Amino acid sequence: MNQLKQLFTRYKMLALVIAIAVIWLFFSWETDGGFLTPRNLSNLLRQMSITGILACGMVLVIISGEIDLSVGSLLGLLGGVAAILDVVYHVPLPLNLCIVAGCGLLIGLANGCMTAYLRIPSFIVGLGGMLAFRGILLGITGGTTIAPVSPELVYIGQGYLPPLVGIVLGVLLFALTLFLTWRQRSNRALHGLAAHSLARDGVRVAAIGAVLAGFVYTLNSYDGIPVPVLLLLVLLGVFSYITTQTVFGRRIYSVGSNMEATRLSGINVQAVKLWIFGIMGVMCALAGLVNTARLAAGSPSAGNMGELDAIAACFIGGTSMRGGSGTVYGALLGALVITSLDNGMSMLDVDSYWQMIVKGSILVLAVWVDVSTRAGRR
Amino acid sequence: MSDYLLQMNGIVKSFGGVKALNGIDIKVRAGECVGLCGENGAGKSTLMKVLSAVYPHGTWEGEILWDGQPLKAQSISETEAAGIVIIHQELTLVPDLSVAENIFMGHELTLPGGRMNYPAMIYRAEALMRELKVPDMNVALPVSQYGGGYQQLVEIAKALNKQARLLILDEPSSALTRSEIEVLLDIIRELKAKGVACVYISHKLDEVAAVCDTISVIRDGKHIATTAMADMDIPKIITQMVGREMSNLYPTEPHTVGDVIFEARHVTCYDVDNPKRKRVDDISFVLRRGEILGIAGLVGAGRTELVSALFGAYPGRYTGEVWLDGKLIDTRTPLKSIRAGLCMVPEDRKRQGIIPDLGVGQNITLAVLDSFAHLTRIDAEAELGSIDKEIARMHLKTASPFLPITSLSGGNQQKAVLAKMLLTQPRVLILDEPTRGVDVGAKYEIYKLMGALAASGVSIIMVSSELAEVLGVSDRVLVIGDGQLRGDFVNQGLTQEQVLAAALSESGDTAHNKNNNDRPGAVGDARQ
Repeated sequence: MNQLKQLFTRYKMLALVIAIAVIWLFFSWETDGGFLTPRNLSNLLRQMSITGILACGMVLVIISGEIDLSVGSLLGLLGGVAAILDVVYHVPLPLNLCIVAGCGLLIGLANGCMTAYLRIPSFIVGLGGMLAFRGILLGITGGTTIAPVSPELVYIGQGYLPPLVGIVLGVLLFALTLFLTWRQRSNRALHGLAAHSLARDGVRVAAIGAVLAGFVYTLNSYDGIPVPVLLLLVLLGVFSYITTQTVFGRRIYSVGSNMEATRLSGINVQAVKLWIFGIMGVMCALAGLVNTARLAAGSPSAGNMGELDAIAACFIGGTSMRGGSGTVYGALLGALVITSLDNGMSMLDVDSYWQMIVKGSILVLAVWVDVSTRAGRR
Repeated sequence: MSDYLLQMNGIVKSFGGVKALNGIDIKVRAGECVGLCGENGAGKSTLMKVLSAVYPHGTWEGEILWDGQPLKAQSISETEAAGIVIIHQELTLVPDLSVAENIFMGHELTLPGGRMNYPAMIYRAEALMRELKVPDMNVALPVSQYGGGYQQLVEIAKALNKQARLLILDEPSSALTRSEIEVLLDIIRELKAKGVACVYISHKLDEVAAVCDTISVIRDGKHIATTAMADMDIPKIITQMVGREMSNLYPTEPHTVGDVIFEARHVTCYDVDNPKRKRVDDISFVLRRGEILGIAGLVGAGRTELVSALFGAYPGRYTGEVWLDGKLIDTRTPLKSIRAGLCMVPEDRKRQGIIPDLGVGQNITLAVLDSFAHLTRIDAEAELGSIDKEIARMHLKTASPFLPITSLSGGNQQKAVLAKMLLTQPRVLILDEPTRGVDVGAKYEIYKLMGALAASGVSIIMVSSELAEVLGVSDRVLVIGDGQLRGDFVNQGLTQEQVLAAALSESGDTAHNKNNNDRPGAVGDARQ
């Protein structure tokens, strides 16, 4: 038991992957294999993309020691704006994207400004925004669904990449994995650090290759890789790069871990927080666009409770509640857990009240596991 | 039965292998006030924690006789029940609760069903306040409505309400104004007349002399002497407090002191909670190239406030100017200060120094990450190279730069924080208590490093509570007392007595021991 605990403490994500496997096997067994069909998996990933996009931004916010409760409503508002621009004003798609993303950035920066400079707790800023943005959305849509949106916009949410593009993408990602592994090994050798054993790296590369092949093959055997899933993959890459390779990323962790020490090290902690919220706003815009596109309509209730899914995804994915640690891929695995539960329970026709109870329990359980494996370290 | 209310005999308390207290004897009669004096870290607070059973019976050696009977308390509630009440340096009041509620905290008077009996508590609180000769206090108002002095009185009322027979006051006046202190001393005299005994712990020897009947001095955990106040005066107390032999712990690196490059002018800091109170009162000083300037003073004198204001890290309001190389520089935030060539290693390593979730290496490069970045990406190789160099230079003992910083010892953590600041290549380095919680070996290395830095032309301001350390490494010593500059000494033949005398002196002129070029006319002998 103790060894198991140690193993999970070291490879936190392993526990999460096992949890996902268990969930998938359970639903697959309950649905006589229906859950694991390419069609459903494709659907599942598309469904996940919205929570995933939000979680990418949210994980930064939480690592920095803050929280943003307004993202669900902001997603709805920006998705609604996109629908209105498209349906009522026939704004061309690229311009529409820019306007919506710009609005998201500005609103996010405003949230960040209130948190970092006016020192209003982010919980309150988020709570206020949650109400206000939903209110604005209801106001501008008049409480009705805005439809039908143009096919170009719909493509963002419902389109698929041609199978060949999917294969090329998979090969490219595998090549990238090989390159990164090789560079890490040579870097460690350069600094006289013990490199990981060749076997360990070999298994790692093989595992990633198998997952990529399975991913592309499964999706191609339905209609191809969905566009929002591609978007999510790109965001995963970009945000992993930000958090692990950039100065800004390092500062996010250090602000969340010890804000006072970071400030005394000559870092403008307020600016760091401001931009984290700015990024969160842009993520809301992207999620709003995808959501509108997926539904082919702007709905006044879009993104309802979206913030809770995103926050739960981060915490299930091992992000620390007090800030300072967490990973983007962890948050996305968390999002996959949440979406799998949603999707599977819907397939089983579980009553929605049961769905809420199960999701709530899983969240608490996951954080308990995280807390209890973490305790030994400090 | 003896005539002593309290007898502590041969108290020994060890932490690990270190004896914080080594055979202390304290006796207190009913109605007597005993002053407990000693330098920072002499063991006063530890002794009081033994007495009040913060360290329960059995974790220390020796015996405590209370009313002639052995006292073997396991917890604070047992000592409080016996009538020993300690009032800590930091007030423990809940600001938003009323005076009466605070007085009865934990001992609330209740009605059937667990409801609070407010009328009874208010009546009793008013009676206590009359006893303390402050009948004008409205005990139904929140404590936060009253200033520090009155809050201290509420603490005393709280103690009296617990039927205290022995009141321990740990630095009770550190947050009070002069007139508030007078009120406090009067009340202690009043309590003495009623038969309540007191132990008064204070760095302010004039207060000790004014109110205490007996003085016990402890030094390095040892009991030095207990003398009736009638046979003592302040200089004698100071001699007893210091009387330590200087050991050879301080390596000297030859370095030459150059011209004045840095100047702080008229720095005044206001208290965060009480904006009218000055924590630092109009202090100006100069610093030369390659000079190590020690800032001495008692805890709470305003040293940390002064240096954090210079660095732009003081949380409250402050005024003043910082000049470097003859130019007024902007040091309103740490970022601006660092850019201007001024940096600080803060006092509280855990809260202000380390980033617990980052590795050793990432902590070291935090302040200069930008310099490793190409576009946005951190050049991992360049960063690691720089980390390796710093680890070697600081003799930082870590198995790998990727280990969490929290896995290191205090001394190595401090070296990492120091390395972080040195990477910014400061002209002026402020070190606030650089060796607090650091083992002897790491201390030695930090002193050596300071000498090497000074030799390379960096000017260092070191705040320290250890007088021996200040005298061991500084070229010049500033003494701060009560937020004012009380002494500016060249460290040649300077003694701990001189520094302590300056720190304890009444407000007035600044003491000097040498003709100071930058202060024509300010010639004078150090006061004894």
